[in-house]
Amino acid sequence: MLSVLNGLNSVTLASLEVGHHFYWQLGNLKVHGQVFLTSWFVIGLLVVASLLATRNIQRIPSGIQNFMEYALEFIRDLAKNQLGEKEYRPWVPFIGTLFLFIFVSNWSGALIPWKLLRLPEGELAAPTNDINTTVALALLTSLAYFYAGFSKRGLGYFKKYIEPTPILLPIAILEDFTKPLSLSFRLFGNILADELVVAVLVLLVPLFVPLPVMALGLFTSAIQALVFATLAAAYIHEAMEGHGGEEHEEHSH
Amino acid sequence: MFDFDATLPLMAVQFLLLAVLLNAIFYKPLTKVLDDRDNYIRTNETQARERLSKAEMLAKQYEEQLANARRQSQNLIAIAQDDARKIGATKIAEAQKEAQAQREEAQSEIDRQKQEAMQRLEEQVDSLSRQILEKLLGPELVNR
Repeated sequence: MLSVLNGLNSVTLASLEVGHHFYWQLGNLKVHGQVFLTSWFVIGLLVVASLLATRNIQRIPSGIQNFMEYALEFIRDLAKNQLGEKEYRPWVPFIGTLFLFIFVSNWSGALIPWKLLRLPEGELAAPTNDINTTVALALLTSLAYFYAGFSKRGLGYFKKYIEPTPILLPIAILEDFTKPLSLSFRLFGNILADELVVAVLVLLVPLFVPLPVMALGLFTSAIQALVFATLAAAYIHEAMEGHGGEEHEEHSH
Repeated sequence: MFDFDATLPLMAVQFLLLAVLLNAIFYKPLTKVLDDRDNYIRTNETQARERLSKAEMLAKQYEEQLANARRQSQNLIAIAQDDARKIGATKIAEAQKEAQAQREEAQSEIDRQKQEAMQRLEEQVDSLSRQILEKLLGPELVNR
Protein backbone atom coordinates (compact mmCIF):
# COMPACT_ATOMS: atom_id res chain seq x y z
CA MET A 1 0.00 0.00 0.00
CA LEU A 2 2.70 2.43 0.95
CA SER A 3 4.78 1.52 -2.01
CA VAL A 4 1.77 2.18 -4.25
CA LEU A 5 1.41 5.60 -2.68
CA ASN A 6 5.07 6.27 -3.17
CA GLY A 7 4.90 5.16 -6.74
CA LEU A 8 1.92 7.45 -7.23
CA ASN A 9 3.90 10.29 -5.72
CA SER A 10 6.65 10.02 -8.23
CA VAL A 11 4.25 10.39 -11.13
CA THR A 12 1.73 12.86 -9.75
CA LEU A 13 2.53 16.46 -8.93
CA ALA A 14 1.71 16.07 -5.32
CA SER A 15 4.76 15.69 -3.25
CA LEU A 16 5.39 17.28 0.07
CA GLU A 17 8.70 18.95 0.55
CA VAL A 18 9.09 21.04 3.63
CA GLY A 19 12.52 22.11 4.74
CA HIS A 20 14.21 21.34 1.45
CA HIS A 21 15.65 24.39 -0.21
CA PHE A 22 17.24 25.20 -3.47
CA TYR A 23 20.44 26.70 -2.09
CA TRP A 24 22.48 29.32 -3.86
CA GLN A 25 25.96 30.04 -2.66
CA LEU A 26 26.89 33.73 -2.61
CA GLY A 27 30.45 33.98 -1.34
CA ASN A 28 30.17 32.21 1.95
CA LEU A 29 26.47 33.03 2.30
CA LYS A 30 23.69 30.60 1.56
CA VAL A 31 20.37 31.86 0.23
CA HIS A 32 17.14 30.11 -0.68
CA GLY A 33 17.05 30.34 -4.43
CA GLN A 34 13.45 29.27 -4.88
CA VAL A 35 12.24 32.14 -2.67
CA PHE A 36 14.11 34.67 -4.74
CA LEU A 37 12.95 33.20 -8.01
CA THR A 38 9.28 33.51 -7.08
CA SER A 39 9.80 36.86 -5.39
CA TRP A 40 11.39 38.17 -8.58
CA PHE A 41 8.39 36.93 -10.45
CA VAL A 42 6.12 38.78 -8.00
CA ILE A 43 8.21 41.94 -8.21
CA GLY A 44 8.26 41.71 -11.98
CA LEU A 45 4.49 41.35 -12.03
CA LEU A 46 4.03 44.41 -9.81
CA VAL A 47 6.51 46.49 -11.79
CA VAL A 48 4.99 45.52 -15.13
CA ALA A 49 1.48 46.24 -13.88
CA SER A 50 2.63 49.63 -12.54
CA LEU A 51 4.40 50.50 -15.76
CA LEU A 52 1.38 49.50 -17.84
CA ALA A 53 -0.90 51.50 -15.58
CA THR A 54 1.21 54.66 -15.69
CA ARG A 55 2.44 54.37 -19.26
CA ASN A 56 -0.38 56.41 -20.71
CA ILE A 57 -2.12 58.22 -17.90
CA GLN A 58 -5.58 59.49 -18.74
CA ARG A 59 -7.85 61.71 -16.75
CA ILE A 60 -10.64 59.21 -17.35
CA PRO A 61 -9.03 55.92 -16.41
CA SER A 62 -9.67 52.69 -18.23
CA GLY A 63 -8.34 49.17 -18.25
CA ILE A 64 -5.19 48.54 -16.25
CA GLN A 65 -4.95 52.15 -15.09
CA ASN A 66 -8.41 51.90 -13.62
CA PHE A 67 -7.54 48.64 -11.91
CA MET A 68 -4.31 49.97 -10.41
CA GLU A 69 -6.07 53.14 -9.31
CA TYR A 70 -8.58 50.95 -7.55
CA ALA A 71 -5.70 49.13 -5.85
CA LEU A 72 -4.09 52.43 -4.89
CA GLU A 73 -7.32 53.78 -3.49
CA PHE A 74 -7.76 50.61 -1.48
CA ILE A 75 -4.25 51.00 -0.04
CA ARG A 76 -4.76 54.69 0.63
CA ASP A 77 -7.99 53.98 2.46
CA LEU A 78 -6.27 51.30 4.50
CA ALA A 79 -3.45 53.65 5.48
CA LYS A 80 -5.86 56.52 6.07
CA ASN A 81 -8.06 54.45 8.34
CA GLN A 82 -5.12 53.46 10.50
CA LEU A 83 -2.92 56.54 10.42
CA GLY A 84 -5.44 59.30 10.04
CA GLU A 85 -5.95 61.87 7.31
CA LYS A 86 -2.96 63.99 8.37
CA GLU A 87 -0.22 61.43 8.65
CA TYR A 88 -0.98 58.72 6.16
CA ARG A 89 0.55 60.07 2.96
CA PRO A 90 4.28 59.38 3.51
CA TRP A 91 3.46 55.86 4.71
CA VAL A 92 1.40 54.80 1.72
CA PRO A 93 4.38 53.42 -0.23
CA PHE A 94 5.60 51.26 2.64
CA ILE A 95 2.23 49.92 3.72
CA GLY A 96 1.04 49.59 0.15
CA THR A 97 4.12 47.68 -0.93
CA LEU A 98 3.71 45.40 2.07
CA PHE A 99 0.15 44.69 1.06
CA LEU A 100 0.82 44.30 -2.65
CA PHE A 101 3.93 42.15 -2.22
CA ILE A 102 2.33 39.81 0.31
CA PHE A 103 -0.95 39.66 -1.57
CA VAL A 104 0.59 38.92 -4.95
CA SER A 105 3.01 36.46 -3.35
CA ASN A 106 0.23 34.58 -1.60
CA TRP A 107 -1.99 34.45 -4.63
CA SER A 108 0.84 33.46 -6.92
CA GLY A 109 1.52 30.59 -4.54
CA ALA A 110 -2.13 29.61 -4.62
CA LEU A 111 -2.91 30.18 -8.29
CA ILE A 112 0.24 29.45 -10.25
CA PRO A 113 1.26 25.81 -10.47
CA TRP A 114 4.86 26.46 -9.52
CA LYS A 115 5.42 22.80 -8.87
CA LEU A 116 5.34 22.08 -12.56
CA LEU A 117 8.75 23.75 -12.78
CA ARG A 118 11.21 21.28 -11.39
CA LEU A 119 14.17 22.50 -9.42
CA PRO A 120 17.20 20.39 -8.57
CA GLU A 121 16.19 20.59 -4.93
CA GLY A 122 13.24 22.03 -3.05
CA GLU A 123 10.26 23.44 -4.89
CA LEU A 124 8.92 26.79 -6.01
CA ALA A 125 6.18 28.25 -3.83
CA ALA A 126 4.92 31.55 -2.56
CA PRO A 127 7.81 33.65 -1.20
CA THR A 128 5.74 34.19 1.93
CA ASN A 129 5.87 30.53 2.89
CA ASP A 130 9.53 30.94 3.73
CA ILE A 131 10.18 32.18 7.25
CA ASN A 132 13.01 34.39 6.04
CA THR A 133 10.65 36.49 3.94
CA THR A 134 8.06 36.98 6.63
CA VAL A 135 10.64 37.79 9.29
CA ALA A 136 12.30 40.24 6.93
CA LEU A 137 8.98 42.00 6.38
CA ALA A 138 8.15 41.97 10.08
CA LEU A 139 11.53 43.39 11.05
CA LEU A 140 11.14 46.10 8.44
CA THR A 141 7.78 46.90 10.02
CA SER A 142 9.45 47.15 13.43
CA LEU A 143 12.12 49.45 12.04
CA ALA A 144 9.41 51.47 10.35
CA TYR A 145 7.46 52.07 13.52
CA PHE A 146 10.58 52.88 15.48
CA TYR A 147 11.52 55.34 12.78
CA ALA A 148 8.00 56.77 12.81
CA GLY A 149 8.09 57.18 16.59
CA PHE A 150 11.53 58.79 16.68
CA SER A 151 10.94 61.11 13.75
CA LYS A 152 7.60 62.23 15.19
CA ARG A 153 8.42 62.52 18.88
CA GLY A 154 12.20 62.38 19.15
CA LEU A 155 13.50 60.86 22.36
CA GLY A 156 10.08 61.37 23.87
CA TYR A 157 9.27 58.15 22.10
CA PHE A 158 10.83 56.28 25.03
CA LYS A 159 8.21 57.74 27.31
CA LYS A 160 5.74 55.29 25.91
CA TYR A 161 7.58 52.54 27.79
CA ILE A 162 6.89 54.07 31.19
CA GLU A 163 3.48 55.53 30.47
CA PRO A 164 0.99 55.30 32.01
CA THR A 165 2.98 53.49 34.70
CA PRO A 166 6.58 52.17 34.86
CA ILE A 167 5.27 48.88 36.23
CA LEU A 168 4.36 47.89 32.70
CA LEU A 169 7.88 48.53 31.43
CA PRO A 170 8.74 44.83 30.94
CA ILE A 171 5.52 44.26 29.06
CA ALA A 172 6.10 47.34 26.93
CA ILE A 173 9.57 46.10 26.04
CA LEU A 174 8.24 42.62 25.42
CA GLU A 175 5.73 44.11 23.03
CA ASP A 176 8.51 45.23 20.71
CA PHE A 177 9.56 41.62 20.39
CA THR A 178 6.12 40.06 20.16
CA LYS A 179 4.98 42.41 17.43
CA PRO A 180 7.39 41.26 14.71
CA LEU A 181 7.21 37.71 16.03
CA SER A 182 3.43 37.53 15.77
CA LEU A 183 3.42 39.36 12.42
CA SER A 184 5.93 37.03 10.82
CA PHE A 185 4.64 33.79 12.28
CA ARG A 186 1.03 34.58 11.53
CA LEU A 187 1.79 35.11 7.87
CA PHE A 188 4.27 32.27 7.59
CA GLY A 189 2.04 29.81 9.43
CA ASN A 190 -1.08 30.67 7.48
CA ILE A 191 0.51 30.44 4.09
CA LEU A 192 2.56 27.33 4.79
CA ALA A 193 -0.39 25.60 6.44
CA ASP A 194 -2.62 26.48 3.52
CA GLU A 195 -0.16 25.09 1.00
CA LEU A 196 0.38 21.99 3.10
CA VAL A 197 -3.34 21.34 3.45
CA VAL A 198 -3.82 21.72 -0.28
CA ALA A 199 -0.83 19.48 -0.96
CA VAL A 200 -2.05 16.81 1.43
CA LEU A 201 -5.55 16.87 -0.01
CA VAL A 202 -4.17 16.69 -3.53
CA LEU A 203 -2.07 13.77 -2.43
CA LEU A 204 -5.10 11.97 -1.05
CA VAL A 205 -7.79 12.88 -3.58
CA PRO A 206 -6.25 14.49 -6.63
CA LEU A 207 -9.55 15.53 -8.19
CA PHE A 208 -12.12 18.22 -7.27
CA VAL A 209 -12.00 17.68 -3.51
CA PRO A 210 -9.11 20.11 -2.92
CA LEU A 211 -10.94 22.86 -4.81
CA PRO A 212 -12.93 24.27 -1.83
CA VAL A 213 -9.77 24.25 0.25
CA MET A 214 -7.95 26.04 -2.54
CA ALA A 215 -10.71 28.65 -2.64
CA LEU A 216 -10.47 29.01 1.10
CA GLY A 217 -6.72 29.35 0.66
CA LEU A 218 -7.26 32.27 -1.73
CA PHE A 219 -9.48 33.92 0.85
CA THR A 220 -6.99 33.35 3.67
CA SER A 221 -4.15 34.63 1.53
CA ALA A 222 -5.96 37.87 0.81
CA ILE A 223 -6.96 38.27 4.46
CA GLN A 224 -3.40 37.67 5.61
CA ALA A 225 -2.04 40.33 3.29
CA LEU A 226 -4.68 42.74 4.56
CA VAL A 227 -3.97 41.86 8.19
CA PHE A 228 -0.24 42.30 7.80
CA ALA A 229 -0.59 45.69 6.14
CA THR A 230 -3.27 46.87 8.57
CA LEU A 231 -1.26 45.82 11.61
CA ALA A 232 1.86 47.47 10.26
CA ALA A 233 -0.10 50.68 9.80
CA ALA A 234 -1.62 50.34 13.26
CA TYR A 235 1.82 49.87 14.87
CA ILE A 236 3.17 52.90 13.03
CA HIS A 237 0.19 54.93 14.16
CA GLU A 238 0.63 53.75 17.73
CA ALA A 239 4.30 54.72 17.69
CA MET A 240 3.42 58.18 16.43
CA GLU A 241 0.52 58.73 18.80
CA GLY A 242 2.01 57.18 21.92
CA HIS A 243 0.09 55.64 24.75
CA GLY A 244 -1.02 58.98 26.06
CA GLY A 245 -4.28 59.16 24.20
CA GLU A 246 -6.48 56.33 23.22
CA GLU A 247 -5.20 52.80 23.25
CA HIS A 248 -5.58 50.94 20.02
CA GLU A 249 -7.00 47.53 20.26
CA GLU A 250 -4.95 44.72 18.89
CA HIS A 251 -6.39 43.14 15.82
CA SER A 252 -5.50 39.52 15.79
CA HIS A 253 -6.57 36.91 13.36
CA MET B 1 11.66 24.90 8.23
CA PHE B 2 13.14 27.59 10.43
CA ASP B 3 16.53 27.93 8.86
CA PHE B 4 17.50 31.56 8.76
CA ASP B 5 20.27 32.59 6.44
CA ALA B 6 21.26 35.39 4.12
CA THR B 7 17.83 35.19 2.49
CA LEU B 8 16.45 37.36 5.28
CA PRO B 9 18.55 40.53 4.87
CA LEU B 10 18.60 40.18 1.12
CA MET B 11 14.83 39.88 1.07
CA ALA B 12 14.56 42.96 3.30
CA VAL B 13 16.83 44.95 0.99
CA GLN B 14 14.92 43.67 -2.02
CA PHE B 15 11.65 44.67 -0.43
CA LEU B 16 12.91 48.18 0.32
CA LEU B 17 14.11 48.51 -3.25
CA LEU B 18 10.70 47.36 -4.44
CA ALA B 19 9.04 49.96 -2.22
CA VAL B 20 11.28 52.71 -3.61
CA LEU B 21 10.73 51.54 -7.17
CA LEU B 22 6.97 51.28 -6.79
CA ASN B 23 6.96 54.69 -5.13
CA ALA B 24 8.55 56.09 -8.27
CA ILE B 25 6.51 54.23 -10.88
CA PHE B 26 3.23 53.52 -9.12
CA TYR B 27 2.35 55.48 -6.00
CA LYS B 28 3.60 58.92 -7.01
CA PRO B 29 2.17 59.11 -10.53
CA LEU B 30 -1.15 57.53 -9.67
CA THR B 31 -1.55 59.55 -6.48
CA LYS B 32 -0.90 62.65 -8.52
CA VAL B 33 -3.53 61.53 -11.01
CA LEU B 34 -6.05 60.91 -8.25
CA ASP B 35 -5.38 64.27 -6.61
CA ASP B 36 -5.47 66.07 -9.94
CA ARG B 37 -8.74 64.42 -10.76
CA ASP B 38 -10.15 65.38 -7.37
CA ASN B 39 -9.11 68.98 -7.98
CA TYR B 40 -10.49 68.92 -11.50
CA ILE B 41 -13.81 67.58 -10.33
CA ARG B 42 -13.98 70.04 -7.46
CA THR B 43 -13.21 73.08 -9.63
CA ASN B 44 -15.60 71.87 -12.29
CA GLU B 45 -18.29 71.42 -9.73
CA THR B 46 -17.84 74.90 -8.30
CA GLN B 47 -17.76 76.37 -11.78
CA ALA B 48 -20.89 74.50 -12.72
CA ARG B 49 -22.58 75.68 -9.55
CA GLU B 50 -21.57 79.26 -10.30
CA ARG B 51 -22.85 78.93 -13.83
CA LEU B 52 -26.08 77.46 -12.61
CA SER B 53 -26.67 80.31 -10.17
CA LYS B 54 -25.78 82.79 -12.90
CA ALA B 55 -28.19 81.14 -15.28
CA GLU B 56 -30.90 81.18 -12.65
CA MET B 57 -30.23 84.87 -12.01
CA LEU B 58 -30.41 85.58 -15.74
CA ALA B 59 -33.63 83.64 -16.04
CA LYS B 60 -35.12 85.66 -13.21
CA GLN B 61 -33.91 88.87 -14.82
CA TYR B 62 -35.41 87.87 -18.14
CA GLU B 63 -38.67 87.03 -16.49
CA GLU B 64 -38.71 90.43 -14.84
CA GLN B 65 -37.97 92.08 -18.15
CA LEU B 66 -40.70 90.05 -19.77
CA ALA B 67 -43.17 91.08 -17.11
CA ASN B 68 -42.11 94.71 -17.54
CA ALA B 69 -42.51 94.51 -21.27
CA ARG B 70 -45.94 92.96 -20.88
CA ARG B 71 -47.00 95.69 -18.48
CA GLN B 72 -45.69 98.38 -20.83
CA SER B 73 -47.47 96.87 -23.77
CA GLN B 74 -50.71 96.76 -21.82
CA ASN B 75 -50.19 100.40 -20.87
CA LEU B 76 -49.58 101.23 -24.48
CA ILE B 77 -52.69 99.42 -25.55
CA ALA B 78 -54.72 101.19 -22.91
CA ILE B 79 -53.32 104.56 -23.95
CA ALA B 80 -53.95 103.81 -27.60
CA GLN B 81 -57.51 102.74 -26.88
CA ASP B 82 -58.01 105.90 -24.87
CA ASP B 83 -56.61 108.03 -27.67
CA ALA B 84 -58.74 106.26 -30.21
CA ARG B 85 -61.82 106.82 -28.12
CA LYS B 86 -60.96 110.49 -27.69
CA ILE B 87 -60.30 110.97 -31.37
CA GLY B 88 -63.51 109.20 -32.19
CA ALA B 89 -65.40 111.38 -29.79
CA THR B 90 -63.93 114.61 -31.19
CA LYS B 91 -64.59 113.44 -34.73
CA ILE B 92 -68.17 112.66 -33.89
CA ALA B 93 -68.55 116.00 -32.17
CA GLU B 94 -67.08 117.81 -35.16
CA ALA B 95 -69.29 115.93 -37.53
CA GLN B 96 -72.32 116.75 -35.47
CA LYS B 97 -71.31 120.40 -35.31
CA GLU B 98 -70.85 120.50 -39.05
CA ALA B 99 -74.10 118.83 -39.62
CA GLN B 100 -75.73 121.31 -37.30
CA ALA B 101 -74.09 124.17 -39.15
CA GLN B 102 -75.20 122.86 -42.52
CA ARG B 103 -78.69 122.36 -41.23
CA GLU B 104 -78.80 125.90 -39.86
CA GLU B 105 -77.46 127.22 -43.15
CA ALA B 106 -80.00 125.28 -45.05
CA GLN B 107 -82.66 126.54 -42.68
CA SER B 108 -81.63 130.16 -43.17
CA GLU B 109 -81.51 129.68 -46.92
CA ILE B 110 -84.98 128.25 -46.82
CA ASP B 111 -86.13 131.17 -44.67
CA ARG B 112 -84.51 133.62 -47.04
CA GLN B 113 -86.04 132.08 -50.11
CA LYS B 114 -89.36 131.88 -48.36
CA GLN B 115 -89.15 135.57 -47.56
CA GLU B 116 -88.13 136.35 -51.10
CA ALA B 117 -90.96 134.30 -52.39
CA MET B 118 -93.35 136.02 -50.02
CA GLN B 119 -92.03 139.43 -51.07
CA ARG B 120 -92.41 138.56 -54.71
CA LEU B 121 -95.85 137.27 -53.99
CA GLU B 122 -96.69 140.45 -52.18
CA GLU B 123 -95.37 142.49 -55.10
CA GLN B 124 -97.42 140.45 -57.45
CA VAL B 125 -100.39 140.83 -55.14
CA ASP B 126 -99.84 144.55 -55.17
CA SER B 127 -99.59 144.80 -58.91
CA LEU B 128 -102.46 142.44 -59.41
CA SER B 129 -104.63 144.30 -56.95
CA ARG B 130 -103.67 147.61 -58.75
CA GLN B 131 -104.60 146.12 -62.04
CA ILE B 132 -107.85 144.86 -60.55
CA LEU B 133 -108.38 148.33 -59.13
CA GLU B 134 -107.55 149.99 -62.44
CA LYS B 135 -109.89 147.73 -64.21
CA LEU B 136 -112.63 148.39 -61.73
CA LEU B 137 -112.17 152.10 -61.22
CA GLY B 138 -110.30 153.20 -64.20
CA PRO B 139 -106.72 154.46 -64.37
CA GLU B 140 -107.39 158.15 -63.60
CA LEU B 141 -108.93 157.47 -60.32
CA VAL B 142 -106.32 155.16 -59.34
CA ASN B 143 -103.36 157.35 -60.25
CA ARG B 144 -104.57 160.28 -58.39
